[in-house]
Amino acid sequence: MSQHLSFDDQIQRNKIKSFFLIGIIFIFFIILGYIISLILDPSYFFVIMIFAIIFSMIYVVAGYYNSDRIALASVKAKKASHTEHRALYHAAEGMAIASGLPMPKLYIMESDEINAFASGRSPDKAVICFTTGALKKLDKQELEGVVAHEMSHIANYDIRFMTLTAVLIGMVSIIAQMFLRSLWFGSGGHDRDGRTQIIMIVIGIAFAILAPIAAQLVALSISRKREYVADATGVKFTRYPKGLANALKKIKEEHVPSNERKHRVAKAMAPLFISDPFKKKVQGLFSTHPPVEERIRRLEAM
Amino acid sequence: MILWIIGLLIVIALIFIVYYNRFVTLENRIDNSLSQIDVQLKKRSDLVPNLINSVKGYVKHERGVMSEVTKARKAFMSAKNFQSKVQKGAALQSALGSLFAIAENYPQLKANENFLHLQQELAAIEDKVAYARQHYNDSIMSYNNLTKKFPGITFASLYRRSAKKYLEILAEEKAVPKVSF
Repeated sequence: MSQHLSFDDQIQRNKIKSFFLIGIIFIFFIILGYIISLILDPSYFFVIMIFAIIFSMIYVVAGYYNSDRIALASVKAKKASHTEHRALYHAAEGMAIASGLPMPKLYIMESDEINAFASGRSPDKAVICFTTGALKKLDKQELEGVVAHEMSHIANYDIRFMTLTAVLIGMVSIIAQMFLRSLWFGSGGHDRDGRTQIIMIVIGIAFAILAPIAAQLVALSISRKREYVADATGVKFTRYPKGLANALKKIKEEHVPSNERKHRVAKAMAPLFISDPFKKKVQGLFSTHPPVEERIRRLEAM
Repeated sequence: MILWIIGLLIVIALIFIVYYNRFVTLENRIDNSLSQIDVQLKKRSDLVPNLINSVKGYVKHERGVMSEVTKARKAFMSAKNFQSKVQKGAALQSALGSLFAIAENYPQLKANENFLHLQQELAAIEDKVAYARQHYNDSIMSYNNLTKKFPGITFASLYRRSAKKYLEILAEEKAVPKVSF
């Protein structure tokens, strides 16, 4: 029971966190609206506020309900065919049975690199996308291991949380960009006290620069932890830790020129993948994924 | 004071409802995983006639094995309860195993696309049967944990729920030689 309880806890925590994340998005917009109104003209505070709230609501709802389509479209994924990608369907059907989850929709994205991601807002709306490279290079056990890892993200409601995170980071960076650019053109109220205005602008700039970074850091630390959990849950489905461990070894060994993969994947989507599509030599605060070596070590110790 | 008592009663009622629903959810999960096993076994038996058809032309001197497979399929189709379905399904799997072992001696058959396709499908079904059984036993485990641990055990006796049996690997099945496809 303890194991089951911990997974249930994980799911519960993810649902609560998702809820808070939506709250943070709203609060962020209200603060931002307040700052903008202070800088431009305090008398417009309520008008700007109303716009900010409406905009944030539309943004969150649209991002939430279309997350899977946005994610798939941004990597130009195509639906997997039953004849051509039969091995993938077999692996996914087996894992759907082993996990007791509904069968996810399967997609393929064109890339030589071994990678995969899951998206969607709930298990019955889930999608899993594999790269063509992964289908070519992974054998049956490895493929099952990776599918199981992605199914765990679905089972643990990670996909909902990570999708919201991606929506949040995307939004915060857009707003920050817009704000910084508007400063070049904004003239501001000349009749106001110059010093307060400068202080407000400095605060605004600091906020615009720091907010996306802070949002990203929080998201990343959470993302790294849930990869380990997904690895463990995945093994619960396959009962074969070596499959995923071998797949991770293959991922570790392959070298794809970095500039080739960069334009394929939007940065905000990195936490969704099984291995970081932007992997660098240095691991640390800014990694979406824990080091592959450590994941392999933990899998082999199971 | 009265408000407090009403509040307490509501909380207690909620706990009873939550536990009742938990039993029902877990029972449904067990039923669902059971039907998954059933579906896969059925799929396997449905593929057999196609397989026999594609093999027939190539394998002339091994009538015995083919009739074994056909017989095992008939036995499976006439099985009534779940326990015997699982048993007959396992027998069918082992008969198919010997058929595939013989197919190794016929290079032309092994090159036949239709045969290869069926072989892959049947191998995948075997995996799925194994995963379905695993999920069934997992579901039984969470159900049994709920009925045997405190405080679930008190609710279990209240709702007349008792621990369920795991799906055991049958003696016959254990003896099946492992055939690698």
